[in-house]
Amino acid sequence: MPELRKDPVLGRWIIIAKERGKRPTDFIISEPASKGGFCPLCPGNEKTTPPEVLGYGGPGRLPNTPGWTLRVVPNKYPALVIEGDVNKEGEGLYDKMNGIGAHEVIIETPNHEEFFTQLPFERMQDVFLAFRDRLVDLSRDERFKYVMLFKNHGRAAGASLEHSHSQLVALPILPRMIVSELAGSLSYYKYKERCVYCDIIRQESKEQSRLVCENEHFIVITPWAPRSPFEMWLLPKQHASSYITQSHDQFQALTRIFGEAMARLEACIPNVPYNFVLHGAPLRSDPLRHYHWHFEIMPKLTNIAGFEWGSGFYINPTPPEDAARYLREVSLT
Amino acid sequence: MKKILLVDDEESIHLLYREELEEAGYEVHSALSGDEALNTLDILKPDLVILDINMPGLNGIDTLRQMKEKMPEMPVILSSAYQEFKQDLASWASDDYIVKSSDLTELLESVHRHLA
Repeated sequence: MPELRKDPVLGRWIIIAKERGKRPTDFIISEPASKGGFCPLCPGNEKTTPPEVLGYGGPGRLPNTPGWTLRVVPNKYPALVIEGDVNKEGEGLYDKMNGIGAHEVIIETPNHEEFFTQLPFERMQDVFLAFRDRLVDLSRDERFKYVMLFKNHGRAAGASLEHSHSQLVALPILPRMIVSELAGSLSYYKYKERCVYCDIIRQESKEQSRLVCENEHFIVITPWAPRSPFEMWLLPKQHASSYITQSHDQFQALTRIFGEAMARLEACIPNVPYNFVLHGAPLRSDPLRHYHWHFEIMPKLTNIAGFEWGSGFYINPTPPEDAARYLREVSLT
Repeated sequence: MKKILLVDDEESIHLLYREELEEAGYEVHSALSGDEALNTLDILKPDLVILDINMPGLNGIDTLRQMKEKMPEMPVILSSAYQEFKQDLASWASDDYIVKSSDLTELLESVHRHLA
């Protein structure tokens, strides 16, 4: 029988269609064909991007020249603009403000053919450090309340260019998802005086049925009420509401566990399109006892259609316990 | 006289743009598809391309990538009725992105700027 499950933070209901019971081999995804042609993100084409706001590379390298291993550049055709004031105002009962924001692209590798999951350890860690560096820099701009950091991999997951990149959008408002997470976790904290995410970590460590992998600082689980088959959450074991406060050791552990989780996912479902999103506290907020930063990794394996739009429910054909077992047991050779 | 290659599957756009561009002193050549434009490129060697995105067959973004592979220094202005293609990072290979309008002021300014 199908099962309805409730997300303990958001109160969102999910239908686990157990009888459909989809296994990794039910999700066959063909090798994405490279479109070829000119790539604006490749080395040598730096002048086709706006000037970089961050670059990692060899000593003596000048900005906007080749020799980089990672670059962060503003979006050439941004949806939101960096200059100006927010100017909140109303139009009758409707609210509006100027489209102020920052939209940046993190070019994770100079190699057009190299995927994020293929990056060697040091360079994958550079991606996580670049996320931190940009968050720190953008948090100085008081117009911005939140920075949404995300990656789209594969056309089905919204990646428009195969050259590996992630993106961030600094916003003058809190996204509704984060508002809901903050409210849900605060409500839980008021009732139990504990962080709901810390409780999730404790329970998942004990039960093990949804555990994918862990190390000294992080745990990766398939959540109780996942929206997508093989959805994973990556959480720090030590309570922290902000991503930027991690130690050097934690960044190393993050890189190891993220690399392992993604390797497991790709071993289960080769060429899987996915999104990952960093969820953290609003910019410049004091440490929050009720909120816990984390990554959510969403393989793009199902379609969002009328029922999902209308109800807010998701139908997931793979129970998270099954997904976790496949992910744990897959051979990483 | 500077040569402009105008690539769009809509004949009415050719009529409108050609008149304005010729009046501004440019020599205008037409292609009705991405494939036709790519085939014309080597012979015509335009000074600038105005390229529609939403076309049957090879779309404007894929045409752009192939054009820039062949002629990276040749300015290409994307001209589309739609804003959303700006979210496609491959559009960054272009030198400008103009949303189509019956008022060609913005397009002409961009053409002048890139051919100055």
